[in-house]
Amino acid sequence: MSFFGFGQNADIEIVFDDADKRKVAEVKTDEGKKEKLLLYYDGETVSGRVNVTLRKPGSKLEHQGIKVELIGQIELFYDRGNHHEFISLVKELARPGDLLQHTSYPFEFANVEKPYEVYTGSNVRLRYFLRATIVRRLSDIVKEVDIAVHTLCSYPEVLNSIKMEVGIEDCLHIEFEYNKSKYHLKDVIVGKIYFLLVRIKIKHMEISIIKRETTGSGPNTFTENETVAKYEIMDGAPVRGESIPIRVFLAGYDLTPTMRDINNKFSVRYYLNLVLMDTEDRRYFKQQEVTLWRKSDKSRLPLHNPHNMQHLPSTIMPRQLSISSEENSVRTMSPNQDSGPQRSVSPFIPGNDGDKCNGPTTKPIEEDIEEQGKNASDITEKVSKVQINDKPLVAENTIIVEKPPIAEKPILNRPEGDETTQ
Amino acid sequence: MNEFSEVSLWNPRKIRSPYKSIGFCGLSKLIGLRHVSDPPTVLSELVVSSSGNKAGVVVQLQARHEAEAQMTNQVSPVEEQEKLLDEALNVVKVQSAMWFERSSSTRVERGMLRCFGQLERMNESRLTKQIYRANVCDGKVGKGCSGKSYADHVDYILKKGQILSIRSQRACMKRMMDVNKAFQMNRCLDKSKLMDALKHASTMLGELRTSLLSPKSYYELYMAITDELRHLELYLLEEFQKGRKVADLYELVQYAGNIVPRLYLLITVGLVYIKTNTSLRRDLLKDLVEMCRGVQHPLRGLFLRNYLLQCTRNVLPDVAEAENENEGTVRDAIDFVLMNFAEMNKLWVRMQHQGHSRDKERRERERSELRILVGTNLVRLSQLESVTVEDYKRLVLPGILEQVVSCRDAIAQEYLMECIIQVFPDEFHLANLQPFLKSCAELQPGVNIKNIIIALIERLATYSQRNEGNINLSVVLEDGQEQEVQLFEVFSDQVASITQSRTDMAPEDMLSLQVALLKLAQRCHPDKLNYVDRVLAHTDKICQEIHQNSGKTHLEHNTAVFKELMRLLKLPADHYKDILTLTRLHHYAPLINHLNHPGRTMIALHLVTDVLESGTLISTPEDVEAVLTMLEVLVKDQPDQHTADDDDFMEEQGLLARLIHHFKSDSADQQYLILSAAKKALQNGGARRIQHTFPPILFHAYRLAFTYKDLKDQDEMWEKKCQKIFQFCHQTISMLVKAELAELPLRLYIQGALAIGEVQFANYETIAYEFLSQAFSLYEDEISDSKAQLAAITLIIGTFEQMNCFGAENAEPMRTQCALAASKLLKKPDQCRAVALCAHLFWKAPRDGKQLTKQFTCRLCATAVFLLLGRIGRWSGREIARSALSLARSAQAERDNESCFFWPLNDGARAQECLRKGARVAQQCMDGGVRAQLLVELLGRYAYFRERGNAQITVQQLDAIIQKTREELANLDQSEEVDQITKHFHNTLQHLKNRMECPDPDGLGYEGLVLA
Repeated sequence: MSFFGFGQNADIEIVFDDADKRKVAEVKTDEGKKEKLLLYYDGETVSGRVNVTLRKPGSKLEHQGIKVELIGQIELFYDRGNHHEFISLVKELARPGDLLQHTSYPFEFANVEKPYEVYTGSNVRLRYFLRATIVRRLSDIVKEVDIAVHTLCSYPEVLNSIKMEVGIEDCLHIEFEYNKSKYHLKDVIVGKIYFLLVRIKIKHMEISIIKRETTGSGPNTFTENETVAKYEIMDGAPVRGESIPIRVFLAGYDLTPTMRDINNKFSVRYYLNLVLMDTEDRRYFKQQEVTLWRKSDKSRLPLHNPHNMQHLPSTIMPRQLSISSEENSVRTMSPNQDSGPQRSVSPFIPGNDGDKCNGPTTKPIEEDIEEQGKNASDITEKVSKVQINDKPLVAENTIIVEKPPIAEKPILNRPEGDETTQ
Repeated sequence: MNEFSEVSLWNPRKIRSPYKSIGFCGLSKLIGLRHVSDPPTVLSELVVSSSGNKAGVVVQLQARHEAEAQMTNQVSPVEEQEKLLDEALNVVKVQSAMWFERSSSTRVERGMLRCFGQLERMNESRLTKQIYRANVCDGKVGKGCSGKSYADHVDYILKKGQILSIRSQRACMKRMMDVNKAFQMNRCLDKSKLMDALKHASTMLGELRTSLLSPKSYYELYMAITDELRHLELYLLEEFQKGRKVADLYELVQYAGNIVPRLYLLITVGLVYIKTNTSLRRDLLKDLVEMCRGVQHPLRGLFLRNYLLQCTRNVLPDVAEAENENEGTVRDAIDFVLMNFAEMNKLWVRMQHQGHSRDKERRERERSELRILVGTNLVRLSQLESVTVEDYKRLVLPGILEQVVSCRDAIAQEYLMECIIQVFPDEFHLANLQPFLKSCAELQPGVNIKNIIIALIERLATYSQRNEGNINLSVVLEDGQEQEVQLFEVFSDQVASITQSRTDMAPEDMLSLQVALLKLAQRCHPDKLNYVDRVLAHTDKICQEIHQNSGKTHLEHNTAVFKELMRLLKLPADHYKDILTLTRLHHYAPLINHLNHPGRTMIALHLVTDVLESGTLISTPEDVEAVLTMLEVLVKDQPDQHTADDDDFMEEQGLLARLIHHFKSDSADQQYLILSAAKKALQNGGARRIQHTFPPILFHAYRLAFTYKDLKDQDEMWEKKCQKIFQFCHQTISMLVKAELAELPLRLYIQGALAIGEVQFANYETIAYEFLSQAFSLYEDEISDSKAQLAAITLIIGTFEQMNCFGAENAEPMRTQCALAASKLLKKPDQCRAVALCAHLFWKAPRDGKQLTKQFTCRLCATAVFLLLGRIGRWSGREIARSALSLARSAQAERDNESCFFWPLNDGARAQECLRKGARVAQQCMDGGVRAQLLVELLGRYAYFRERGNAQITVQQLDAIIQKTREELANLDQSEEVDQITKHFHNTLQHLKNRMECPDPDGLGYEGLVLA
């Protein structure tokens, strides 16, 4: 630890209490390596000892004080110099004086509030660490030790599902359903795709999990999309009336909980992207945000009550395909307010939430699809009143049930470019 | 160049540099020749020349790159290119032996593949060979690194090829089926590296994602891969049983990114789970079958689901009640298989609608190759032992039928319906006939529904026969009540409704359905003739409709409909083997009339032959009428008749004639009625027919007369009846005469006369005379041919000689007329013989009657046989001969009874006169041989009459004849004929000599005769 030629004559070691019993968690470091760190949860006490070892026992070490800090900070990679500390707790361990021998100082940060989870992304990093400092006149002797922090949530067991009818007029109408809108990290996405109309030759269908990391604010917003997982759920061309099961185990992927506006610095959101590929390699897709959360390990389901058997109850019944009467109801799903998928190209048209329907506006968009459709086209969402049960299944959808539908421009997603970012 | 081949083979770098120059030479040579018309040839020469030398490959290599450009542009013969490639391949092999550095070897490969690509463009089928060879190379050259690129390239070629021949596909498949992967998997298993093994298994299964293969090739690939999976399964099972918990394995395999490998693995692991922990069984099965929905590609989906079915075949719950609810019951198994079946069927049907319509034929072929996969589901269902009839009725059958009907695909429907019939037990079918048949009616128009129903009918008929008809069949009526019904009734109703509802059905199919029904009726309800008749009635209706639609009155020969109707008609005939039963089927005869003339003839002949073979007797006049009505085509001229072949016609009539002999009753009165009925029916047949059909009737009648004679003690009226019979005969024969026949009626008259002579009823002499005189007048009026005349007169004389009924009043004109007629014969030898025969008219031997009779009887028989054989068909001849024989026998018996016999009308002088006249006529013959012959014959007659006591014949006369004969013989040249005559002569002399030595005590001797 003697980085400086002259003079570091003491080593600092931070030893945590119950380090042997405490769980460890793998955390990615800056360089992309993985490191095993001791794991703490919100509100847990971080305690331990700081051992100062003198290099030359017997000699005197003069210092201006010894302190230990618990720091939580966010590092934005484009702004290396500025670290935003959202936690900074300090404990004085020793008054300025001389150290004559190996000394061990116990410390304790009791019930520390750790609001965020550690995270290492492509543009941002959130970390917690302990820093023990022997303050000296010329150069401090510093020792930093990272710890891992996981935030646990407990969402209510009753979860709303995501259910939606989307399509491209006269071309493809599907109805999909994910059993929840919020998944914990070891959860299983169970769902179903029901084909109402198929006029294109589909080659296969996959679900990808997209992580969208947004950093900064205002003009300095950086968005980074990363496809975390790609999962083929269908091979071959279905015909109308087919329903395809979805079951994706999340445990195997490198996921973090969804983070929204962490300290106003960054967000990490997850989207399920349903992609249909036709024989001419055109991609049709529909992104849907899901919230990921971390569940405490204790409540994990035992193996012998396997969640892997889950199926959606076949709530989606075959329905009439002639939807001419619903033509006008072709519209996007209103972006739900709390989970707020901030789709970059879907400006919310304000003041339009009256009784006006937006039939006409659909059309140009669809023509656009045909023009741009070489590579990709988004599936225009379609929400029919029929679909929503009397009691609002999907919390986000309630607006539509209660009020006249919000007219809004359908979403057209850009051709997917996220594969390259991986 | 040879010296360089020694240069360290093991150091390619060294080789390359000296050969650059040569390569360059080769190149420049090529470039120089570029404008020559045929660069490939040049190239191949170059290749050949260089390939002899191992080191020359580099040259060749570089030359190739240039040459490729040429090959692409030139349309050169395929053979050339092939040869080229062969050479190139050799080179590569050589090169691989040399362990070239990798970069160069891959370059060769790349070049070659490009060549393959071009070749393929020209001639797709040759691709195969090339790929095979590429494989060979790959094993040696590739060494891992280029293996993949190689496969990719082959893929590329294949994709480009579009039309994929099976062979090349297979080659390609072999390429893709990298044994290494399986090998790696197994190796990892050996090392207990489960994760790695799974990863390799997944890669291996990835090969099943291909879309390039035809079903056959895909099947091979599938088999190869599932074999490997079996290893995995066994390994996992072993591990589990050892107690090792491979936690979350079921979850783990689901991380595979591609769905096809994922599901294969899932199934494999799921199976292991089920085997180790049966309490998960029900849920796992449900899950597996549900997850398989993800594969919607028909081919891959079918095979995947087939794998599922294969794997689960031993673990399906097969108990009615489960102890542990989670283990599932047979209901769950049914649900599972039905679901799988439904999905597979959908995929299978979908195949039909994908792709270009010009490939329809190929697609259908491929589909039929795959159908077994779908059918396996049904087999699996049938193997569930705890499925009861009730389950079948409630769950299984409706499930299957719903799928089958709703898929609206002819191929699938046809196959699956047959499958259902074949795989499930008979009892199940019996219990569910109505729903099954009802769905049959709902099938697509293109479905060949008759095959399905026929299969079912035959199956049930066999079953019913096995159980001897004891099948309980109950049917739920519309009001919900169950009622026992006959199997036939159900089928009959359903078939009727099907034929009605399916208007598009080909008429021949309707008929084949009726055939099947008929079979059913015959086999299951042998006692119920009305069922058969019902079928026939229905068929009749169908035929009428066919006529209406076609506008023709008869079914054309050799059309499908015709054949079916033929089958239908033959069926009862063959089944009952009894024409009388057929006559009781009211709709049988009318049905025959739907056929055209040849068809009716065929059926009629078939029926007749049956009767003849089985020896059925038809013993009432009504039956006779019915039978003959049924055989109308043989009996009468038909409006649609064409001039038939004479031989065939004779044969037909011959058979009919034989049939008449089966019209026989034990009661004589009845027999008479039969004969009248037969005659009445047959007399409309015209001259061509009655000449065949009447003789048997007549012989029947004559025999009947004898029967009456036998019955004279019991029947007072017998004489009257005999008279009536002969009147009937007379009428019949005169009809033949009217038909401008001569010889046949003549003989029949004579035969009649003979019979009359024997029966001896009241007033028989007159009638006999009438008969004989009729015969004679026929002889005079109608017979002109000299040979026929001789034969006829011989017969008349013979008959007269035989008959003893005539008094002088009737005998005299007859004798005189005969003699007159004899002497009027045209040819001298004929005259001579006939006149000599006339001698018999005047002298009948008083004694030795027995011998005489015998002799005559034989002659009579012979004549009957001989004469009739020629005229009437071969077969009927036998019958006639038989009746003639029996007639003769009875006559003989009659004769034997009369102990004393003497004919009062003997007139020795006139007999002698006849003989003398004969001798005179013989003298008038020109040919010496004939003269001698006649004389010898006359000598015989002289001797005969003398021995029979005609004193008018003297020894001198005999002597004179002998002398004359000797003279004649002496003048003759040696020849075979003459030898025979001489022998005859000497035999006669020998006889005389014997008589002289031991004279007959009663007869006149030969005293004074000198035999030199």
